[in-house]
Amino acid sequence: MRIDVSDLSFSFGVSRVLKNVSFTVGDGEFLGLMGPNGSGKTTLLRCLTRYLPADPKAVFVDMKPLHTLSDRQLATTFAVVPQSSSTDFPFTVREIVTMGRIPHAHSRILGSRAGDARLVSAAMVASGCDFLADRHFSELSGGERQRVVIARALAQEPKALLLDEPTVYLDISGQLEIMDLVKKLNKERSLTIVAVLHDINLAARYCDRIALLHQGRLEAIGPPSDVLTPETIQSVYGVDVAVRKDPFTHGIYVMPRSITTSARKNGARVHVLCGGGSGGPILRQLVEHGFSLSSGVLNVLDSDYECAVDLHIPVVAEVPFSQISDETNRGNLSMIDDSRAVVVSRFPVGPGNFKNLEAARYALDNGKKVFVISGLDLPSVDFIGGRADACLRGLINAGAVEVSSVDELTRQLGVELEALK
Amino acid sequence: MALESGQSDVEPAKGSRFAFFRRNPLLFIVLLFLFLLVSTFLAVLVGTLGPIGPGEPEKISLSDAMYAILKLDGDYPAYYTAVFWDVRIPRVLLAGLVGAALACAGTAMQAIFRNPMADPFIIGVSSGAAVGAVSAGLIGLTTVVGAFTAPMLAFVSALVTVLVVYKMGTVRGKVYVDTLLLSGVAIAAFLGAIVSFLIFFARDDYHQLIPWLLGSFAVAKWSYVWILVLPVCFGVCLVFLFGRELNALLLGEETAHNLGADPEFLKKLMLTTAALVTAGAVAFTGIIGFVGLIVPHMMRILVGADHRALVPASILFGASFLIWADAISRTIIPGQELPVGIITALCGGPFFLYLLRRSRTSGSMS
Repeated sequence: MRIDVSDLSFSFGVSRVLKNVSFTVGDGEFLGLMGPNGSGKTTLLRCLTRYLPADPKAVFVDMKPLHTLSDRQLATTFAVVPQSSSTDFPFTVREIVTMGRIPHAHSRILGSRAGDARLVSAAMVASGCDFLADRHFSELSGGERQRVVIARALAQEPKALLLDEPTVYLDISGQLEIMDLVKKLNKERSLTIVAVLHDINLAARYCDRIALLHQGRLEAIGPPSDVLTPETIQSVYGVDVAVRKDPFTHGIYVMPRSITTSARKNGARVHVLCGGGSGGPILRQLVEHGFSLSSGVLNVLDSDYECAVDLHIPVVAEVPFSQISDETNRGNLSMIDDSRAVVVSRFPVGPGNFKNLEAARYALDNGKKVFVISGLDLPSVDFIGGRADACLRGLINAGAVEVSSVDELTRQLGVELEALK
Repeated sequence: MALESGQSDVEPAKGSRFAFFRRNPLLFIVLLFLFLLVSTFLAVLVGTLGPIGPGEPEKISLSDAMYAILKLDGDYPAYYTAVFWDVRIPRVLLAGLVGAALACAGTAMQAIFRNPMADPFIIGVSSGAAVGAVSAGLIGLTTVVGAFTAPMLAFVSALVTVLVVYKMGTVRGKVYVDTLLLSGVAIAAFLGAIVSFLIFFARDDYHQLIPWLLGSFAVAKWSYVWILVLPVCFGVCLVFLFGRELNALLLGEETAHNLGADPEFLKKLMLTTAALVTAGAVAFTGIIGFVGLIVPHMMRILVGADHRALVPASILFGASFLIWADAISRTIIPGQELPVGIITALCGGPFFLYLLRRSRTSGSMS
């Protein structure tokens, strides 16, 4: 079934909750509705179900204006699965699912229509709750209840399923079970789905398209990979994220990094000399604590390089598997010149990147504060016969500060940069 | 969670002792109907004169009673026919009608308020009616203008009270049940104070008011039966016909809407129906408590929460329950009539406590 929303606005009193929202949901499509709390997702859903009185010319189902449908036609068009359902009354699962037949009832006096019982059983089988049929609804777990409510929705024989954060109270396996079930119904019955979802990764994994609402406006709509970019998420949620491709599902997934945008501490920068994966944790933690960073010299395929790029840290890079060239080294040294402090991580040192240690010496000689992550007592990562260890010891003797952990480094750097004020 | 689901796989549904009736609600309703017929018949035989009862000053034999009830010619005193046809039969029928009305209104109110503690008086019917009835009694209108004045005044003041409570709980045409409930409590307290005030000044006339305040069928007349029968039948049928929608409403107003049942219409229809039948019932017989609260509960334990079965079961059992309560009230103390409200509360109070404990220990209210 096709749903057209054109120029839909809605206000609670004076506060405008939806502002000129327009979009289309295609037949058999799985659309995710996303957005921060209070962005109007649930209101939009309630305008579709007419629970809230929207502008009659704003919503069309299969080209028919929503207000021309009777209550019962509406209930056979949309079935709704809320966040959670509960009742103080001792309904059995079968009774709850049978309620889905209310809009199909022909007569008030006669009981159910012929075939209702069969349809109800089929709906319970389809959503995997038939074994619960004679249990009391109130004694089921959250996941079981959602299955029952989905069965009730199926018993309505709707053309579209509207879900309002159906997995919000479920544990991770429950979330996946319910979403798999919804996806299956979407595929096998080409049931149109509109689901309000909070979990970005769940949405990215299951939705054909995502509509992103922000302060009542439709900010973006499209396939997950188009909508869920670091830029849109930053602008809508105010959260810094990294977006990755999942090597197994080829879907995308989103990792939050920090909600604090880096407070440049007096504009003073810290240069991190790292490599071989040793720098990632340092870079991440320092960014989270608001330090302005640069990094070098890193080979392009190094995981530290990817980490630095992800974090939008300026990085002096060298082509993969190559020695540090003189030109790159000059770039690195000029970065050090612009920095207030230099951090030397415990990276594996070989002939190719020995220049990074020499750069640390250069920094010390030029009056920069140098921090060395300790670990000389750990198994050596020196691949050039002791020269690297000797160089590190030399640094410490010449005044470099040895720190035992990233936490201590963060603390000491904080003190150092504070002293600048 | 594993533990939880593991547990619930083994443990059968609560109330499975009565699972037979839950699976065969129609059979249960037929049994209740037969029970009502038998109760009606037996209750007609109950009385001070017997055949069931103390038999003071004389005891009617069973065969005489049958002859009198069937109005056959026979060797029995002529006033026996009057005992049955002018006193007992209208009284039993009135008790049945009022029981059905209260139980049905209670079921509807519990559905509307989505609260197992709701009863037919929750929106101020009883306190409103009390003000009307007590005023009428004190001014002495009963004797001056006729027997129907007090019930009329009680009925009207009950409806005015309900209207005020309803207005308090309604904002721009939308009924807010939580506000409605609180307004009902507040207005009931206010009117209760007025009734107490009137009683305080009634002094010696106070005793005349007791049967009404505690509910009594002693006043039963055929005319009362004829006035009540149509509205009560109409009301209970209406509640029954909207049983499916009431089911949906118990899951919340939004869910009801999404299932094609208009919650606003449903709330207004049910509140009006329940208020009218309750006001009609209490206007004649006074405030009979607990029937509207506990009968739906008992039936829910037996047939479950589905209103398609619950409403007819409550109506039939409510009628039987009040018929028996009345039969007890007029014979338990020889030569004296207890107000029936005392009997219902005596049975209802302990049962209600039992329910409360049950809901505390099992987690779900039945």
